[in-house]
Amino acid sequence: MQNTHFRRNTAPPWLKKLQHGFQHGDRLWQALMIAMGALVLGLILAIGFLLWQQSQTAQSQLGLSFFLPASSTSWDPVSGLFQAWPFIYGTLITSLVAIVVALPLSLGVAIFLAELCPSWLRSPLGLLVELLAAIPSVVYGLWGIFVFLPSVVAPLGEFLGSTLGQAPLLSALLGGVMSPSGSSRLAAGLILAIMITPTIASVTRDVLLAIPRSQREAALALGATQWETIWKILLPYGLSGILGAVILGLGRALGETMAVTMVIGNSIDNTASLLRPGYTMSSIIANEFAEAVNQLHSEALIEVALVLFVMTLLLNGAARWMVYRAARRTPTGGR
Amino acid sequence: MRRNSYSIFTALLLMAVLLSACAPAAARAAQVIVQTAPPVTVKETVPVQQTVVVTQVVAPTQPATLPAGSVQINGAGATFPQPIYAQWTYAYQYVDPSAAINYQGIGSGGGKKAIIDGTVDFAGSDSLVSDAEYTSGKDLQMYPALAGAVVVIYNVTGLAATDPAIILDGKTLVGIYNATVKNWNDPAILALNPALKDKLPAKPITVVHRADGSGTTEIFTKALASFSPDWKAGGAQSVEWPVDKAGNGMGGKGNPGVAAAVQNTPNSLGYVELDYAIPNKIAYTQMVNKAGATVSATAEALLSAMNDFADKFTDKLTNTIVDAPGAKSWPIAGYTYYVLHTTSMTDCVKAQKILQYINWTLTDATAAKQASALGYAVLPDAVRNQVLAKLAQVTCKGQPVPLK
Repeated sequence: MQNTHFRRNTAPPWLKKLQHGFQHGDRLWQALMIAMGALVLGLILAIGFLLWQQSQTAQSQLGLSFFLPASSTSWDPVSGLFQAWPFIYGTLITSLVAIVVALPLSLGVAIFLAELCPSWLRSPLGLLVELLAAIPSVVYGLWGIFVFLPSVVAPLGEFLGSTLGQAPLLSALLGGVMSPSGSSRLAAGLILAIMITPTIASVTRDVLLAIPRSQREAALALGATQWETIWKILLPYGLSGILGAVILGLGRALGETMAVTMVIGNSIDNTASLLRPGYTMSSIIANEFAEAVNQLHSEALIEVALVLFVMTLLLNGAARWMVYRAARRTPTGGR
Repeated sequence: MRRNSYSIFTALLLMAVLLSACAPAAARAAQVIVQTAPPVTVKETVPVQQTVVVTQVVAPTQPATLPAGSVQINGAGATFPQPIYAQWTYAYQYVDPSAAINYQGIGSGGGKKAIIDGTVDFAGSDSLVSDAEYTSGKDLQMYPALAGAVVVIYNVTGLAATDPAIILDGKTLVGIYNATVKNWNDPAILALNPALKDKLPAKPITVVHRADGSGTTEIFTKALASFSPDWKAGGAQSVEWPVDKAGNGMGGKGNPGVAAAVQNTPNSLGYVELDYAIPNKIAYTQMVNKAGATVSATAEALLSAMNDFADKFTDKLTNTIVDAPGAKSWPIAGYTYYVLHTTSMTDCVKAQKILQYINWTLTDATAAKQASALGYAVLPDAVRNQVLAKLAQVTCKGQPVPLK
């Protein structure tokens, strides 16, 4: 639109320059945005570099056996032997349990909120689900210790141990006697599942709501039932978005410290069982770093942090590649 | 409507902030570490303080002439003495209002790191400063402040509060923590507890240890190492626990974490400082000491342990008092120390205040009573005199710092 209100610009020259800059400041704006992006990238690189550099002595002294799986590992600050496989296993298995439990739960919540919920319930219920994400993790840990572990996890673990744990294939994962207080890898996995459900559920709900109505109407017109529409049409359509939600949840599960430390039992052992107390990478760092006066001990802990950092990046990268593959397969590229 | 609700919200927020700023300091000394003395702005006193510093080196002035809260002293370190340090720093405000002392319990290792880095004025530590730390800290010195007992707490289903306490001895305790004594009705435990023969269940013992590094662990593992050569994991702040490898171990974070883990896990056992067991009313064992007598963790037992080793202080004024040979001594005890720089302090007013505070904690009768009430043991005279003599050797800028 043309500006029909011309007026002589009587501003002083410095003000004229400023006005000119603001009106034609695209270059400046671009430069600022590029700087922001570069700052984030630089931060990640700086963290990775710092972790790498601060653990140099430990890397050269402990070698590859630090993070390779072994049947018998040790973490001995007194004699300087450090192997982090129990913690790596603990992080991986608790996150896996969390995703396996949270995925159907969150999908169910999201589908209910997006498709099946009466409209008067949609807002309050959605708000409550998102409120779960706002609860601090220490509160989850506390609730876990006093309520969740004794009343849910301990009986569940005993049941699983006595039934599925006897089966030959699952005896490694569910064998052994359930820890009496409930503190176990299973407990950590279940609490993580509760913590990542709101993340996955709200993003999945948004993905489902963004799918155009034409898809649903076309499916119903072709004679599909509501369930067939959801399962065969909508979920594949939004698969890349759902996978993105799972990545977000996985990221939270990998790094979660406080709630896991409070319920996992903090025991460095070499069993693989979900029913026994375990340890995760974030827990060992949180527990031991403040008191690690021995130089090799603190460097070993920094190396654990480096392994966690790299693992998070790799898993996120792998998940994003899966999203890309899924997006390519859907008709409109997943958008 | 929206503008109204925003302004109401902002007004409420402002009111909340103003009310919290005017609220009186918490009354319960045991719960709160008070950070400042009765409010006086520090800015106004800066010129006064600088004048006093100049004259301090020539002729020490009376501490009472300094404005209240003007000398800020920071301490950090072990969590073991934290409850009594909180009470002492609060009580000391009434003794000398010009010193505002605060102490944070971040762990012995954190305290030692902090005093080496110079971020605190004094540190508290249960674990001994290592040779490497003496080198990097240059002029560090440890001064025993108190002694505390480490007790073994337990939670056995089938034992009521009226039942007598379980009795353990050194070898059995080492066996439990080595996972060679696996069940509660193991013959070794039954031999020491004939009265409980029918009540100890045939269940496995869940052994709880500290997940974080700690001076408490150092005292406990040093005691285990002294009890029996079977304990191979060493005596240090953080060790590799054989019970973890055997599969019946659990870690708790901090003394409260171990206490909570034991209370929540049936048929479990762990070690905590005595002053965590007493207020939480957790059952703890009696021990058979080196002399063969069954002792309970009391102040007399601690005093006996301290007196047993009173002449065995190193020139660094450190001492390990585990497995004391006396008939009345508690076998798992340790000192908690102050850690100070001895020659490199540059603020001589602050140095004097720190030494006066430490002197007060060591010699004042009220301070001693408060410590005893919480379950700590104050130093016997034989030890106290050595500590005070060493404290008198602290210098600031070449001049000795007066203790009074």
